[in-house]
Amino acid sequence: MNAYIYDDFLNKSRYRRALNRVEIRLTDLGLNGKIIRLGAIKNVKDAVQAEIKNGIKNIIAVGNNETANKVISAMISNKAYGFFQKDILFSIIPIGNNNSIAASFGIHKEEEACNILLARRIKQIDIGIAGNNIFLNKAELTSDNARININDEYSLELTRKTKVQIINLNDSPSVIYGERVDPYDNKLNLIINNKTPEATFITSDNIKISGSGEIILDESVAIPLPAEIGIIQEKINIIVGKDRSFN
Amino acid sequence: MFSKDNKLEKFKEAETIIGASIKVKGNFNGQGDIVIEGFLEGSLKTEANVFIGEKARVNANVEASEALINGEISGNIKIKKYLAIGKTAKIMGDVQCGEISIERGASITGQILVSAENLKLSENKKNRPEEQA
Repeated sequence: MNAYIYDDFLNKSRYRRALNRVEIRLTDLGLNGKIIRLGAIKNVKDAVQAEIKNGIKNIIAVGNNETANKVISAMISNKAYGFFQKDILFSIIPIGNNNSIAASFGIHKEEEACNILLARRIKQIDIGIAGNNIFLNKAELTSDNARININDEYSLELTRKTKVQIINLNDSPSVIYGERVDPYDNKLNLIINNKTPEATFITSDNIKISGSGEIILDESVAIPLPAEIGIIQEKINIIVGKDRSFN
Repeated sequence: MFSKDNKLEKFKEAETIIGASIKVKGNFNGQGDIVIEGFLEGSLKTEANVFIGEKARVNANVEASEALINGEISGNIKIKKYLAIGKTAKIMGDVQCGEISIERGASITGQILVSAENLKLSENKKNRPEEQA
């Protein structure tokens, strides 16, 4: 049984045609399910928890990175996320802009996403956490005064304004050393600056960042510094496409 | 690991790379290859190899299996196997290694101890698991 969680921005008329195409395609493929509209409910966690209790097997976020982030947070922060619930599959039907998570899963268009759901190619990947917020792809900030502590062993100081990325799942071919990012290794990759010999590349599972400013998670959620960043124990099963950015 | 022109052959495969615009303070312990192009203060220790770039400045004791040094180090250096010191290197501290090469132009202020024992010890360690098998 499927639950499709529609983000509230999809209420806008410009997304109506895309949603119609998705719904027709899902019906053609026999993948119909319950539709939950986030605009109509106040608490995503309660809604997802209720569906999990009802025995839902697939939870599909319909929207963008922010939608995916909200839905996965609700799934894994759920007290009911126990042994059998971990078999629940997650996927995305990307609609609108800011869909780098779907792109890294190899899902680029909404109708393609429906076919990918049917194919059920499943991977289990790490989930990053910054403060109390999860992320799938990356956490990033641009700073000239951030202090970054690695494993409580050593710290890095930026000497000029620089882009800092903490990557779990790489979504861009332009990221230096991006081919070495592994979403299965229980580690994150810290990449500072993006060109040699300036680029820094460090692998760690415990990164603390202090200074002024904020970190943006998955290009959608902002959290203020200081922040502790790592990997959570729980993994998530995702339905992915052939063109995903990882093995 | 190191090519004739003193550049890291597998630069992109190093486990840790500290870029030129970064200052690192603390105890840096690793298992894999480490490349330092920036500033490091504290200690640097790895079971694999270390590359110190031309513009790097290291105020730390350095321990590694092999190393190529082209930058500035203030601290003692202990290398189990091969140590290559490039022409731009400036070392202030004692050096201990199994094998060494020093390019013309390099500056070293300190004692140098090149001991085949170091090399034998590290080779024996490497061979031991095979002997047991």
